[in-house]
Amino acid sequence: MAFLVLSHVSKAFGQTQAVKDFNLEVEKGEFISFLGPSGCGKTTTLRMIAGFEQPTEGQILLEGEDITFRPPHQRNVGMVFQSYALFPNMTVAQNIAFGLEVRKMDRAKIKERVHEVLSLIQLEDYGGRYPYQLSGGQQQRVALARALAIRPRLLLLDEPLSALDAKIRLELRQEIRRIQQALGITTIYVTHDQEEALSLSDRIVVMNQGQIEQIGTPFEIYNYPQSEFVASFVGQLNLLPVEVLDLSKNICRVAGQEIRFTPTTNSILKSGKVRLAIRPEEIRLGMVEGENLLRGEIASVIFLGSIIRLRVKLGEGILISVDQFNERHFQPPRPGEVVTLHFPIHACWLL
Amino acid sequence: MKRNLRLGLLWSWFWMILGWLYFLLPLLATFLFSLRAKKDTLSFLAYERVFKDPNFWKTFAFSLEIGLITILAGLVLIVPTAYWIRLRLPRLRMITEFVSMLPFVVPAIVLVFGLIRVFSGAPFYLTNTYMGTNALLVAAYIVLALPYLYRAIDTGLAAIDVRALTEAAQSLGAGWPVILLRIILPNLRVAMISAAFLTLATVMGEFTIASFLVGIKAFGPYMSLVGQNKTYESSSLAIISFVLTWAFMGFIQLFSRGRAEAAPPGAH
Amino acid sequence: MRRLNNLFPFTKQGAHSARPVSPIPWRDALWVLPFFFFIFLLVFLPSASLLSGSFQDKRGNFTLQNYLDLFKPSILSAYWISIRISLASALGGGLLGFMMAYGITVGGLPRRLRTALLTFSGVASNFAGVPLAFAFMATLGRTGLITVLIQTLFGINLYERGFSIYSFWGLTFTYIYFQFPLMILIITPALDGLRREWREAAQILGASSWEYWRRVALPVLTPSILGAMILLFGNAFGAYATALSLTGGVINLVTTLIGAQIKGDVLQNLGLGYALAMGMVVVMAIMISIYYLLRRYSERWLKI
Repeated sequence: MAFLVLSHVSKAFGQTQAVKDFNLEVEKGEFISFLGPSGCGKTTTLRMIAGFEQPTEGQILLEGEDITFRPPHQRNVGMVFQSYALFPNMTVAQNIAFGLEVRKMDRAKIKERVHEVLSLIQLEDYGGRYPYQLSGGQQQRVALARALAIRPRLLLLDEPLSALDAKIRLELRQEIRRIQQALGITTIYVTHDQEEALSLSDRIVVMNQGQIEQIGTPFEIYNYPQSEFVASFVGQLNLLPVEVLDLSKNICRVAGQEIRFTPTTNSILKSGKVRLAIRPEEIRLGMVEGENLLRGEIASVIFLGSIIRLRVKLGEGILISVDQFNERHFQPPRPGEVVTLHFPIHACWLL
Repeated sequence: MKRNLRLGLLWSWFWMILGWLYFLLPLLATFLFSLRAKKDTLSFLAYERVFKDPNFWKTFAFSLEIGLITILAGLVLIVPTAYWIRLRLPRLRMITEFVSMLPFVVPAIVLVFGLIRVFSGAPFYLTNTYMGTNALLVAAYIVLALPYLYRAIDTGLAAIDVRALTEAAQSLGAGWPVILLRIILPNLRVAMISAAFLTLATVMGEFTIASFLVGIKAFGPYMSLVGQNKTYESSSLAIISFVLTWAFMGFIQLFSRGRAEAAPPGAH
Repeated sequence: MRRLNNLFPFTKQGAHSARPVSPIPWRDALWVLPFFFFIFLLVFLPSASLLSGSFQDKRGNFTLQNYLDLFKPSILSAYWISIRISLASALGGGLLGFMMAYGITVGGLPRRLRTALLTFSGVASNFAGVPLAFAFMATLGRTGLITVLIQTLFGINLYERGFSIYSFWGLTFTYIYFQFPLMILIITPALDGLRREWREAAQILGASSWEYWRRVALPVLTPSILGAMILLFGNAFGAYATALSLTGGVINLVTTLIGAQIKGDVLQNLGLGYALAMGMVVVMAIMISIYYLLRRYSERWLKI
């Protein structure tokens, strides 16, 4: 049996169904992300695992024990909150020691453990400080240390980086991964930031409106999204209106230009409204024999630093985004110029 | 967890019920007592007598008038000050906050004692004239209501971004009168209303200062006088004054709720 | 913590961020001059006048006699009972008010109760003086509702057992009527400032509800509670109208003594009145100093 099992978990708040029939098995040591827009039920699911909410239906098993209705303080689970939630009246060391003291661990051992986790987060000299004397990033590291000090069976992180500056966020992200791997602790990470989920996780659970849209490795989620929601929520995606010409030969027409696409296995095709999906970074400027070609007029050029995003008008009301890597010598086309775009057949698929 | 939660709720209810009993029982007792003015039967006789007494209406009107003037004068004094301190002199806030708490440090009885000593003699002679006495009464009430007035206004100012609003208005070319009257005051409406009613509630039944400055002309001393002489009327007066205070509070709720509903969702 | 919009700044938990010290621009200060002039005229001048008066005899010569008079047993006992009643009613009202505020903030009671309670607190905290005295006479007086109720239900005659509405306990119970609503008004914002995450973090770390309150919530609330207690104490200490209508000459409180000096009955001695008033200010000053010391200690984890 898996380390953590959620089976048929549902949660309703009055009339609103926050989580619907959630099923997941997590292996020991895995790093799982719950990814989705706000209000998709990811935090509620995490809070049910922590014990702050109780499922209206379903079961949660940790190491084979049913913990569905066990109070949070008996679960031995660590949690890190978006707002750090450090106790303001305690120093860093006291915060970290809190969970050990309520477990009646002896003083010498507590001191040792506090020192150990402080060095894990590289804040050895900060034990005597109060939370207000720390930066946001430092506070969140202390919160992480506090959660880890009790040697939890499970580490839960609820949008831990959302309140931080972009640069600190990146640093701390790497640190979380490093610590997680060093300790081999089973971790569930809630985020709305796809980049965080993609870079950190062993597997990602994409959620929308209380339901699981897809579970898979970052690679699978990004490259083989199984629904339009996943495809457009994770990464940038062009969705172009198409006219399917010949399904057996995988040929369709976009703005009057013929395109060949990857064979589609799912049944979306029958659902009526069909669109061609392609990621902006798969498209390049210029002509290459044997690939799909599209001609259009540059509508706008947006400089994003490492990449340059071109918006190309293919026809009336049909725009496609194209991402080009920036290079020093690169001369971006100007709005109004007519360009040819090319992309491999396997890069596009019907949705 | 479930059991704990239920226990906590039970605990909360216990204190809540105890508190409400503490609050309601004396009122109930007073009310029952006030109905016994006629021997052996319950009646509203005591209330009739109170309402028939011209002094009741006279003193009530007097205190109401003083209360309204206090509110007006208090707001004129405090709104610009609180606004300016938030805008330009944030360092003075510690001081004004302390000052606004002075009535808790200097009790009303001490205050009125000092006021009489200072203002009844040279060079003011305020207590020698009708106007002067009333002015002194209003001023004393402003001090007394300061904790409510200042705090309510300051909290109201804290809720709007005074600096951003002022700078936005200035950048659009507004002068100070326009900023105060058309930007700040409308946004402070709720705070001012609640300050006003709290002040009124304080002033209407106030006894200490009124009894030393104007005597039984004011409602508080009048109630006291009735209390010394007529038992049943005094308890009906207690009920009336409570209902009145309650009515003021109801007004505050009404006004502030009207505002809260008009506010866009997610503003809080 | 600093986002608390507290009605009473004494209970404010956060201090303001320190700005670089520079002289206050006089042109800006001009705008707030009327307010400070008003305070000077209406508060400081009278206080100063009382202070100077307290050092003068009837002919205006310097004397310490007024202060020496304060140490007469009758006056000392008036101070002592004033302080005791203020402390008792502040503690009792504070406890009841805190528990009720707890119920409507983190205790999980229905939202509508909160509005009702806060409104009622606004009313009841202003309910003092004669009406209040009458309400309590009708409740706990010799033939009061509760007195009679206890007599019929349990056969206990409160008055035969030494209780009286005109006694220390009678006054204390009466004062609590305006004390606990004030506590509710003051402490509710502070309780609102307790973040849900603190409780949850404590829980998930293995703490019971009690441990959370003892180790986190109460320490965080201590400055607010201390501030509230000071205000409650001052509120009771300065109460005159209620005391006057209730004590009926049985107990002398400081405020009723001062009242007697001003009113000019047989006892009148203005100089003594001034000294009595200064004594009250001194007691309050001592209380506030104690408060500041305690707060300094309990707030050591706050940014100053």
